[in-house]
Amino acid sequence: MTAHATLGPMSSADDGNIVMALKDVVVHYPVKEGVLQRVVDFVRAVDGVSLTIPRGQTLGLVGESGCGKTTLGKVIAGLVPATSGEIWFNVTRQDLDELDRLQRSVPGELSKVERERLGQLQSKHRLGGMAKEAHRRYRRNCQVVFQDAFASLNPRQLVRDIVGRPLRVYHEVSGKDLDRQVVDLLDQVGLGAQHLLRYPHQFSGGQRQRISIARALALNPEFIVLDEPTSALDVSVQAQILNLLADLQKERNLTYLFITHDLGVVQHMADTIAVMYLGRIAETGPTAAVFNDPLHPYTRVLRESNPSLDGDSDRDDGWRLSGAVPSPVDPPRGCRLHPRCPVAADECGWQIDDVLHHLEEYNPGLFDSIGRVDRRDDFSAKVDMTSPEQACQLRDAVTELPAHAALAEPIHVDGSVVQMTFKPVSDVEVMEVRPGRLTSCVRAQQTGMSPSIAARPEIKSTEGMSHASNSDT
Amino acid sequence: MTTVEMEPSSPAPAPHRESVASVKWARRKEVAGQVLSNPLTVVGFVIIALFLLMAIFAPALTEANEPDPYQSPRDWSNIDAPPGEGGHVLGTDSTGGDVLYGVIWGSRLSLQLSLTVVVSTLVFGTIVGSIAAMRGGRVDNFLMRIVDVFLAIPELIFALAIAAVLGPSFRNIILALAVVFWVKYARIIRGEIIRVKQSEYVAAARVIGDSPWNIYRKDVLPNSITPLVVQATLDMGNVVLIGAALSYIGLAQAGLTEWGAMVSAGQSGLLAGQWWVSTFAGLAILLWALAFNLVGDGLRDALDPKTEGR
Amino acid sequence: MSDWLLKVDDLSVRFSGSKGVTHAVDGVSFEVSPGETLALVGETGCGKSVTARAIMRLVPEPPGIYESGSILLRSSDGSTVDIALADQDDVRRIRGDRISLIFQDPGKALNPSLTIGRQVAEVFGEHRLGMIFEAAGLDASKAGRVPRRIVQQRAGVVSKTGYGIIHRSAARRLRRAVDDAVAGALAETGIPNPRKIMSSYPHELSGGMKQRVMIAQALACDPDLLIADEPTTALDVTIQARILELIGEMQERRRMAIIYITHDLSLVREFTHRVAVMYAGRIVETGPSLDVLANPQHPYTQGLLASIPRSGTARGQLSAIPGSVPQLISPPPQCHFAERCPWAAPVCHKLSPVLTEIEPGRAVSCWRFHRNDLVADEMPEPASEWVTQG
Repeated sequence: MTAHATLGPMSSADDGNIVMALKDVVVHYPVKEGVLQRVVDFVRAVDGVSLTIPRGQTLGLVGESGCGKTTLGKVIAGLVPATSGEIWFNVTRQDLDELDRLQRSVPGELSKVERERLGQLQSKHRLGGMAKEAHRRYRRNCQVVFQDAFASLNPRQLVRDIVGRPLRVYHEVSGKDLDRQVVDLLDQVGLGAQHLLRYPHQFSGGQRQRISIARALALNPEFIVLDEPTSALDVSVQAQILNLLADLQKERNLTYLFITHDLGVVQHMADTIAVMYLGRIAETGPTAAVFNDPLHPYTRVLRESNPSLDGDSDRDDGWRLSGAVPSPVDPPRGCRLHPRCPVAADECGWQIDDVLHHLEEYNPGLFDSIGRVDRRDDFSAKVDMTSPEQACQLRDAVTELPAHAALAEPIHVDGSVVQMTFKPVSDVEVMEVRPGRLTSCVRAQQTGMSPSIAARPEIKSTEGMSHASNSDT
Repeated sequence: MTTVEMEPSSPAPAPHRESVASVKWARRKEVAGQVLSNPLTVVGFVIIALFLLMAIFAPALTEANEPDPYQSPRDWSNIDAPPGEGGHVLGTDSTGGDVLYGVIWGSRLSLQLSLTVVVSTLVFGTIVGSIAAMRGGRVDNFLMRIVDVFLAIPELIFALAIAAVLGPSFRNIILALAVVFWVKYARIIRGEIIRVKQSEYVAAARVIGDSPWNIYRKDVLPNSITPLVVQATLDMGNVVLIGAALSYIGLAQAGLTEWGAMVSAGQSGLLAGQWWVSTFAGLAILLWALAFNLVGDGLRDALDPKTEGR
Repeated sequence: MSDWLLKVDDLSVRFSGSKGVTHAVDGVSFEVSPGETLALVGETGCGKSVTARAIMRLVPEPPGIYESGSILLRSSDGSTVDIALADQDDVRRIRGDRISLIFQDPGKALNPSLTIGRQVAEVFGEHRLGMIFEAAGLDASKAGRVPRRIVQQRAGVVSKTGYGIIHRSAARRLRRAVDDAVAGALAETGIPNPRKIMSSYPHELSGGMKQRVMIAQALACDPDLLIADEPTTALDVTIQARILELIGEMQERRRMAIIYITHDLSLVREFTHRVAVMYAGRIVETGPSLDVLANPQHPYTQGLLASIPRSGTARGQLSAIPGSVPQLISPPPQCHFAERCPWAAPVCHKLSPVLTEIEPGRAVSCWRFHRNDLVADEMPEPASEWVTQG
């Protein structure tokens, strides 16, 4: 089971209140083909994410394109329904523990009281299961600031109507009171009454983002999802907006989910950070700790790849990813990073497809001479080559790969058929390795420490194929 | 742009030197200025205005014929009179019908035809297209397949078939054209709505929790409507063209002061040198269609999303 | 530096529009030497992209106007040509062959309806015909129109023209020569399977791969100068690191000069030798990258550096430069930064400062450094650190 580790400092500001708790959230988009639009596969945008965001804190969600962070933000904001998993809003830690206990037991074993308790919790706190009043409360308390401020403001509406709209929708105020409240909101974000009757195109990028923030604040929310709020802005404007966000958070005890790809910004703004890769969490923990001592190779690579203004240019050149991001339709088994990871070991989940993809990229001649692949499952297959020499070449090629250490049994060549069986590995779970530090790296889970390059398993290096190395993307 | 500075706080809401209405008017003037910056567009507007005046003040310009004003008064003493003869400024046709009268009263029919068809198809097409785009899925599929079937048939032939079946009359021409033209609008607005639905300001409205109808009314529709306006303007001209073609073929009542019918009536006289009937009627059709096309193009240029508002 | 390859001298580019004349580039001067990377840094609207395009005469000439100044490109024999004054044919010959440009969004810079191989081959067809013909064993001077076309249209495309049928083996050799050249160019950028990429279309490739293709295309003709306009802004940070390394490697191998346009100061620090900071169409500071970033002298550079979020800064305390960039339409003669500068003195609002050297290799355009020329009480005491305003 995934652990509900406490993220964030246990300070006095922490009244045990969790604003958002995600449990195994999955978002799969169906891929349809053909005239009848049959579903042939799924894009696994988010594939099992669990997180908690305590009140008053900022959780930074980082990752590169395609990792699912934007989709996750949309799910939390209620724009996209989760395919499975649960999202709990505004619960206490005790509630969460209780939920864990209740859900772990078999439904038939629950007493009537317990079942009622479960139902009660769901109708008050669970997205998708909330009673109408609770859902209204959720809608009011969870707001979003989008990346492209121009695209998130209706070009045909005046600022007054854009910012005042939340108030109108909930029939809070109208007429002069509405105007007054809107002006008040504009003041808080550094704009003024003179901007009330203007159209979005009459403002600069930074000002438009302020309008967006004012709109998000209109209903006095507890929680704001910030989806790359400053990525489209110049550095000096970004500084103004980040300062504004920080001030607002302090004044109103806001909780932020800060989605970004900019490591400098997230280090500055986030208390805790979650790193995503291919739809899953690679690592979470307090920001400083995660950056200083990453427990997942992906975090390490991100850090090393990120150019910095400070003088720490003693970079470790070995920390780089090979190849390109795999398609989210068919992600690798085991640890998702293993085909590209500089420190992947045999327990990281090697499979037949890894071998095939590698051949396609680096040894196309051999790849073309593959006749048929007879798959028993993801880890075991019979590969039919065009000739026995090719079969031997394939065997030799595989022994060059880091994958060879993951073979359950030696490769068996029978004429022109090659039989390969890897040790089957289940998909990796995120585990708490140290207090407050979670990671999905198998090696870190085993050793409790960040895996280092030096400890990489020995690869027999001979002439012939070059294994997965520095040629990439 | 303005610097970020805090205004000295005032207790009352800041005095509006401008009101919402004045700001919106200013914006409309700005857009109008852009539209009218093209001289050709202005020409188109002028021509339309003239036709409009002609249609409205028809009874004042020439005395309405009894019992049916849409039949030219017959001057049997002056048949086939060339322009200027016998008090007929534009001449008469082979039954003595006054050509000028026909042109003036024909403008009324053209106005009636185009307005009725365009407005009704615009509304109906928008409704169907909106339902398809907002609902999506099977509803969308179903409705769009119907639209596809309609679009597969050339407009003129389709209208012809319907009008022929229903019987020759002006009203049936209107009906036939309405049946044929609505699909265009459905398709246009469906495409626009699908595009707008994906924009972030619609997502923002959903996050706020606004109802789908409000989102449609405030966010989706206003931002999808521009291409429709352009198309409607162009169609005001096209409808008359096709309507004229239908009545030319004979699908209108005999002797009607409809421009197309007049062209047809004057056709046999062309070889004999009696050019004025077909020519003036044809000129009227040409100018009408041209004017609306010029205005439509001007609107399209001005309202192009790339240049609109910026 | 007397071994400069490109020397831009007092270049001014204006745009005439309905609202007035925009001074996009205003008296810009800098030099680049072979093997050196110069960063052109600034925020939106500072004129860095226009400068880059102006160097290649890519600014559309109405509404753009090359108002004054020169863009001198030096050849190996010492002769120079002024790109600002050259005629279109000469400029076209220089483009791609001596100066190349790579863009920010490779997806938009590649033609989506042509295969990669064909697009890269176009470069060879345009500038390296001689090399291709030689590789195919043909005499370039005798080649007619059709063999040229085969070269230009090649890679993945079988062109069966009359020539191809009559001179079968020559055509085959030509095609092979082109394919090899293209594959070689692609392989040099680290693309693992060039032949497969050559027959792919841009939409089938990832962002990083497309950028490598663009680099291959830009470097196919071995240019002396490469202008890179925000080449990695659209890429993920892990891919960015690889691409920048690649560019660095290729620079070393060929002793290429690079003008690197970016808004990201941390990239400047890691990948460039010298930097020129631009603001509102003017260069405000130049010098070695490490030096400028460690000891910025111009108030704008100082403000920019102070506003970059780093892990040390307390939240909510980022130094933000107040105000915003002024409009460049018929601007008044003054320091454009004066409105936002914490040290602005009366003179700053009245006269434009000039880029002057304060030490060998370091120049700043700020009245603070001209104190000797001014009356003493006109200048405030310079502070040593950027102070947060309001």
